[in-house]
Amino acid sequence: MISLLLDTSNFKLVVAVVDEDKNEVLSYYNEKLNSDLSVKVFEVIKQCIDNANIIPNDIDKIYSITGPGSFTGVRIGVTICKTFAWTLNKKVIPISSLEVLASTNTNYELNVAMIDARRDCVYAGVYDNILNTVIEDRYISIEQLLLELKDKNYILISDDDFENLKKIDSKIDILKVINKHKNDVGVNPHSLNPTYLKITEAEAKLQTKNND
Amino acid sequence: MKDTYILAFESSCDETSVSIIKNGHDEIATVVLTQMDIHALYGGVVPEIASRHHVESITIVIEECLNKAGMKIEDIDAIAVTYGPGLIGSLLVGMQAAKTLAYLYNKPLVPVHHIAGHIYANNLVQPMEFPLIALVVSGGHTDLVLMEEDYSFKRIGGTLDDAIGEAYDKVARVINVPYPGGPLIDKMAFEGEDTYKLPIPLDDDSYNFSFSGIKSAVINLVHNEEQRGNKIIKENLACSFQNRVTDILVKKTMKALKEYNVHNLIVAGGVAANKGLRSKLEKECKLENIKLCVPDIKYCTDNAAMIGAAGYYAYKLGRTADLNINSKANDSLK
Repeated sequence: MISLLLDTSNFKLVVAVVDEDKNEVLSYYNEKLNSDLSVKVFEVIKQCIDNANIIPNDIDKIYSITGPGSFTGVRIGVTICKTFAWTLNKKVIPISSLEVLASTNTNYELNVAMIDARRDCVYAGVYDNILNTVIEDRYISIEQLLLELKDKNYILISDDDFENLKKIDSKIDILKVINKHKNDVGVNPHSLNPTYLKITEAEAKLQTKNND
Repeated sequence: MKDTYILAFESSCDETSVSIIKNGHDEIATVVLTQMDIHALYGGVVPEIASRHHVESITIVIEECLNKAGMKIEDIDAIAVTYGPGLIGSLLVGMQAAKTLAYLYNKPLVPVHHIAGHIYANNLVQPMEFPLIALVVSGGHTDLVLMEEDYSFKRIGGTLDDAIGEAYDKVARVINVPYPGGPLIDKMAFEGEDTYKLPIPLDDDSYNFSFSGIKSAVINLVHNEEQRGNKIIKENLACSFQNRVTDILVKKTMKALKEYNVHNLIVAGGVAANKGLRSKLEKECKLENIKLCVPDIKYCTDNAAMIGAAGYYAYKLGRTADLNINSKANDSLK
């Protein structure tokens, strides 16, 4: 069982090709983006598939990191994964971008993954060391999040920079993520969609107007 | 000669569309999923909402198109995609889907400029004859383009500010005509009379247009009349506005045809459906013995069939791209 994982959710590009039977990462790329994601993404996917000595059709399963994060970034990854899975009839499994960050191995009880959502808010998800969800991913103010975590044994994991906030950068454990999800049934590629965790400003304004 | 099939993608604004075109002129199948009703709630296209809907529907639209055509991607010779101009988030969805298929099936990827697509919509109606002048009029564009041969574009003029369709929509909003107001203003114009004094937009020797002045004039006029307690006769205002903008479009287009000694005129883009503009051009072209081609309404609005038609000629000229090509919100037609 060969699988491809694609994460384009937060100004980083993560691509992995994994042999699930051997529990082995065949090729891996994880870099901050210096150029546009849309320019780079296929070069890297192709390179990872070539380096794993396989052809695209050898891939049995696709793990699509569906966000939250950069709306545009997530859409690029999800569009590629759903088109790939649909056209070659492959299984596709959605995974949270926060869970991927939370796969970082730490000595704390709770791994709190965060992605900057601006205006002092973050997308945050709380996971234990074996990636069980402790608190669902959500859009929340940093202040509120810290308040809820008070007195808990936790560490903040994020690749974004925050002022006056102690956190560590992620060190993704790809096999941990894949092992957690390898028995997932997956979704119909047509219904694979980004997880934004936030409605658009236009929708919010319209809701307010309708409620008045 | 072997037939050439192009699978084409268009997602530059609020239509998700996929089409299969044979030899640049035969439409095998086209699927267009419009989001117009969704954006009508907001009085105009909301880019983030448009992008969200594109990603939700893209594979469904591709599948429906292939089913309609009874074809497989293996049967396709090349994949064409609108790379720009347009809403960047929307463009990127079509681009990724096109790239994914180009990569997986090892097919050439052909980037197509949105305006080249609008122009080539005419090729789906009848073969384009060169040299020609193309008047491209839509919600995002107002351009005069000279073409000496296939896929050679020389922009001789265009709007310096608002696109014509944008001006229509803004005028519609001022007089409370629902979005998209352009077609309704056109209809109302025929029910009214030209009674309002509005300026003629940029009536100079260039081939450029400017519609922001007349738009402001309409806004001021409505405002002033309201303050005076006078009721606006909407049909008359629509008629006055439509006359002013279509007169200048027709005048400069006819001047271009004469100066470049060209006898073929094609009209393209959503506003090509405007009856006021069409009837004026028909009349002038008849007088001047110019062959006029205006595509069917279904090819005037955004669709992938036109991208497939243009993409065929780009492909034949070897204008393919690597998988590292990016979408572009702004790019001039080359």
